[in-house]
Order: sequence, then structure tokens, then C-alpha cells
Amino acid sequence: MWKIEPLRILNWTKSAAGISILLSVAAAVFATLSRGPHVLVNTVVMGGMLALVSMGLALVFGVMNIPMFAHGEYFMIGTLVAYYVFTPINAYVGTHPDSVLNALGPLITIVAAAGVGALAGVASEVLVFSQLRKRSRENWVMNSFLLTVGLSVVLINGHQLFFGADFKGIVRFWGGAPFSILDVFISRDRAMAFFLATVVVMVFWVFMTYTRTGRAIRAVSQDETGALMVGIGLNAILMLTMAISCALAAVAGASLLFMFPSYPSVGLEPLYMAWFVVIIAGLGNVLGAVVGAFIVSLLKVLTVEYIGSGWDFVVPSVLIIIILVFKPSGLFGTEVRGVLDK
Amino acid sequence: MEKIARNSLDKLLDLLCLTPLGAAALVLLAVLPMIPPFNQEYLIRWLISAAFIAALSIAFDFTAGYISIVNFGYCAIMGLGGYTSAILAERIGLTPWVGMLAGALTAAVLGFVIGIVTLRLRGIFAACLAWFFGLALMGLATKMVWLTRGPLGLRVDRLFGSASNLSFYYLILAMMLVIYVITRWVTRTKMGLAFKAIGQNMEAARTSGINPVYYRIVNFTLSCTLAGWLGGFYAHFYGILTPDVMHTAKTVEVLAVAYIGGRGSLWGGAAIAFPFIIGMELIRSSLSNMPGINLVIYGLMLMVVMIYYPGGFAHLFDTYFRRPRNRFLGYLVNGVDYRPNSISEPPAAPIAQKTIG
Repeated sequence: MWKIEPLRILNWTKSAAGISILLSVAAAVFATLSRGPHVLVNTVVMGGMLALVSMGLALVFGVMNIPMFAHGEYFMIGTLVAYYVFTPINAYVGTHPDSVLNALGPLITIVAAAGVGALAGVASEVLVFSQLRKRSRENWVMNSFLLTVGLSVVLINGHQLFFGADFKGIVRFWGGAPFSILDVFISRDRAMAFFLATVVVMVFWVFMTYTRTGRAIRAVSQDETGALMVGIGLNAILMLTMAISCALAAVAGASLLFMFPSYPSVGLEPLYMAWFVVIIAGLGNVLGAVVGAFIVSLLKVLTVEYIGSGWDFVVPSVLIIIILVFKPSGLFGTEVRGVLDK
Repeated sequence: MEKIARNSLDKLLDLLCLTPLGAAALVLLAVLPMIPPFNQEYLIRWLISAAFIAALSIAFDFTAGYISIVNFGYCAIMGLGGYTSAILAERIGLTPWVGMLAGALTAAVLGFVIGIVTLRLRGIFAACLAWFFGLALMGLATKMVWLTRGPLGLRVDRLFGSASNLSFYYLILAMMLVIYVITRWVTRTKMGLAFKAIGQNMEAARTSGINPVYYRIVNFTLSCTLAGWLGGFYAHFYGILTPDVMHTAKTVEVLAVAYIGGRGSLWGGAAIAFPFIIGMELIRSSLSNMPGINLVIYGLMLMVVMIYYPGGFAHLFDTYFRRPRNRFLGYLVNGVDYRPNSISEPPAAPIAQKTIG
């Protein structure tokens, strides 16, 4: 089934995608050898979660042509739900140590966050985006972008209004001793976060590739009119897309609650990072976003490691500006750019 | 066509690109601090911040409304101007008046660079690139502690030593007027037409012999220059600069005012900024037990305007108030060139939805 074609591999290594992936792998290996394996571990854990956030962003780009500025706010909703679900569970487990919730609590939390995130996505599609779509499709990209800017302001300050601006965090999801791999101690939470991200990415990939609904979503992203012609219910697909993408962000938020305590603007950092990812991966390229997430997270970890924390916005954004200048369609550019140009 | 008699007032108004109503509004703004409820110090501060946002939104609209590129790092460029002016004043004792111009110059250089770099990109890509420039700039301002003192804040001498803020108010009003007149002068020449053509359809503009490279760079440079100049005012008015002035949230504030005011109109943002900012401040101070309520309302307003009335206030005004039957009212809102019956189309009514391409 898999034939090795030397020429194709050679060509791939000469393409922008090949060069950047090989360079990042080389950089990761070098940094791991010189600074210790924690570089690799941090990159992988953060990259996994970033992949979830940026996959959702890329999906909304590709299918709905919305440059989502409020995506970090669904991450924030995920952290918020996780906090309010996990705290009582944790208190209950504290008094009943043998309860089944001890093991299932974090999972329930994350599933609840995914559900609420999906609901929030459906609500924003129904209340906001479909309203604009009904009225005018002219300048859709720019208008919907401004709409998401407004949505982001509303959600951030709504959080502050109803839940306060203090940090709402937890110490950990899973107790127990940390794993030890390659002489690095990885806390169970980090390991589980990465494991969850992998599972979700896999499930998502299978869903998009092998199910009818997933194919319908991809059809809409390729050609909306064509999808309508072959009988795909557009509105349902758009709503589903929004729900999936917001649920992905909420899952990321919920499973990273131990690193990012919930507060109003917690979503901004993942948002910036996810934008970096989708820009270098090419807007609307969902699988490219997974690879891009690991590249961006490697960039961030290397910056913190070699230059110092706090520079982790400067160096990646400068690099991304350079990439954009020379390769405006991204490293793994896609065809959707024509629509988003407007 | 009959010759229209113009007196010297009309000529002056034409030079300043103001309608009689606009001029009256400016006079009202100028005397507002004398009228009782507004003569208190905190209200003057609100008026200053409203005028500041108004001026920024005019300069922002010069890019967003004409060549249709949302400069999402706008406040970072404004902050760059502010930091330049403040650092020059602190380190080499340069007078703030020259410092503000130096800030404008550095912002112009950055605007020129962004203009060149974004040339190949359009729409959302260009906005993202400007945004990443802004993020990088804010990161630099945070981390270059030896120069900017980072999040601790850079103390700056205020422009006027007096305790009252009144002189600041008149200064920012004058700056707002200057910015308005500059942008209007540029946009009412052929250049403005070229800007609009590029904004609506770049290919068609290129086919008609418009060189987008030149116009886009000029537009970006000018708009960033004005932002840098305003940044100098910001630094020497508030007396302290933190990297937070460069935050995206500040750009969003300017953007909201500009879009609620009406894109592509220049004056719309300025007109809406005063009631809007003062209303927001009123809500914030009277509902201080509900922090964030003003920003929720503000975001909701941006969304409602974007969904139901993308043309904003300027479009509303052009549609319903620009063509009154009464000759005097017509003069008031249109200036001396207005003829109630001979004009079949609204004179200065860019259909805002179509101008952003």
C-alpha cells in the first residue's frame, strides 16, 4: 500500500512545508540534546492543546469564512465550566475518597466543558453569524471579523460581570506521582492533557475523513454552492461546524485548567498563538494546523529557553511576519485563500 | 450651472472641509467646558479622552474606510509615537512639542515599513500582519525595561504645568481638527478617489491605471504618522506610559468608534465618539458595582451596528438628514453648494457597505 518514492520525498524536502518541518525537527532535537528533554516535553504538551484550539479556528475559517477573533473566548468558557464543575466534584471526592468520581471526575469535567462549548458555539451561530448571513453576504469576511471582535469584547466582559475578575483555578486534575520518561518528570495532568489532545485529534480526523457528515463539512469548505446543489443542508452544517470548533477550544481550555486558571482574558494568549498557527499553516488548512501548532509551540518553548520568558510574543511574531512576507499563503497553503482575500 | 455666491465664511468652511453644522458642533465643543455640568474637572477629562478617540478614529478610518485594510496594530503604532516622544523628553530633554513630531516621524517610518510589507497581502491577511506587528511592538515595549521601564510605567512630564486640563482639551480639539482637515484634503483630491478604487476592487483599479503600491504606502504612512502624533499627546497628557497603551483592546476601542460612526466617512467616528465615550464613562461610574457592564454594552453595540446597519451613523445621517426640503436646513448640513431640487443623489453619500471591498 505504501510505496516509497524517492523522488517525491526529495521534492517534499525541497518544498516550504518540508523545509520547515525538517528544520523544526532538527531544532527540537538540537535543543533537547543541549538543554535537556524538558524542551521536547513542553513542546509536545503545549503543541497538543494548541492543535485543538487552532484546528477549530482553521475549521471556522475554511468552512464559514469567518476569521474568528473570539476563539479564545471559547477556550475561556471551557476553563470556566471546568472550574465550576470540577470544584464540587473535588470537594465531594475529598470526603468520599473511594467514590468512582475520583477517577471519572476530570473526564466528566472535560465532557461538560465540551458540551457547553458546543452550545455556546451554536448560540453564537444562531444569534450572531446567521443574522449577518441573512442580511448581507457582501464583504462577509471583514464584516464577520468585526462581529467576532464585538463578540470577544462581550464575552470577556460578560465573564468579568457575572463571575468576577479573580483567578479561578485548581491545583490538579489527577493526583498521584508524576511519570518519569527520559529522566524528566511529567505530571499526570500534562500527560493526560497530551493524551486527550491526541485522542481528540484522531477522532476528529476520522470524523472528517470517513463519516458522511464530515465529508459534507469538507464539501461546504471547498464549494458552498456545489454543496448546496448536491443536497447538503447548509445551515445545519454551518451550525455543526461552529459547535465542533468551539467544543474543541473548550476541551483545550478545560484540560489546561491547571495551567491557565480561569479569568476574563485568559483566552487571549491561546488566541494569539492559534492565529500564529493558522497563518503559518495557511488559513482553513485543518490538518496543517496540527503540524503548525507543534511548530509554533516549539518556537515559543525555544524562545523561552534561549532568550527568556516574555519574549515569546516578539520572536514568534517577527518570524511569522517574515514567513508571511515570503510565503503569503502559509507554509502548507490552501486554495481557500481566494475567498479570504476580500 | 449658475454661479454660487460665496462669502468669506463659506470659503473658510470649504477650506476646512466642514459643513456649517459641523462648524457649529465644533464651536459647541469649544464652549462646552464653560457650560455648568461640563466645567468640572472629571468631565473635562472625559471630553479629552473622547476627543482623543475621535481624532484616532478619523486617522484610523483614513485607512480602514478608504483602502479597506483594517490596521489592527493601530494603537501599538500610536504607543510607539508616545514612547518616542516620552523617551526623547526624558533622556535628552527635548521639548514635547518637537517630541510629538519626532513620535510622528518614527510612526511614519514604521507605517512605511508595514505598508511595504503588507503590499502583497489583502483584507484579513494585511490586518493580521499589522496585528502581529502590534503584538511584537507591545512585547518589545514590555521587555526593553532599560528603555521603557516596561510594565512599571514610564513617567513623563506633562505638556502644560497647570492643574487644569482645559489647555489639554483645546490642544486635542485643535489636533482633531488638523487631522480631519489633512485627511479630508487628501481624500477630496484625485488621490482619495484612487484610495476608494483600490479599496473596492484592486484589479479594476489597476486596470484603470492606478498604481496600488504608491497609494497604499502613502495611505499607510500618513495614517500611522497621525497616530504617532496623537501618541505624543497621549504620553504628555496622562503623564505615564505602560505597554498597555499598545494593547489590541485599545485598537478595538478605536475600531468600534470608527465603525459605529460609519466607515469611509471620516467625520462619523468623530461625531459618535463624544456621546459614546461620555455615555460609556457615565455607565461605568454610575454602575461601579457591576464592573465590565460598559464594555459589554459597547461590544453589543458594535455587533448590532455590524449586523443591522453596517454603514453606521454616517450612512444613517446621509440617508435621512442630508436632503431636507428646507433650504436653510439644507445649507446647514451640506454647505453652500446645496440645491434642494437639482440634486437627485445624496451629495456626499458613500454607500458604506460597498466601499469596503
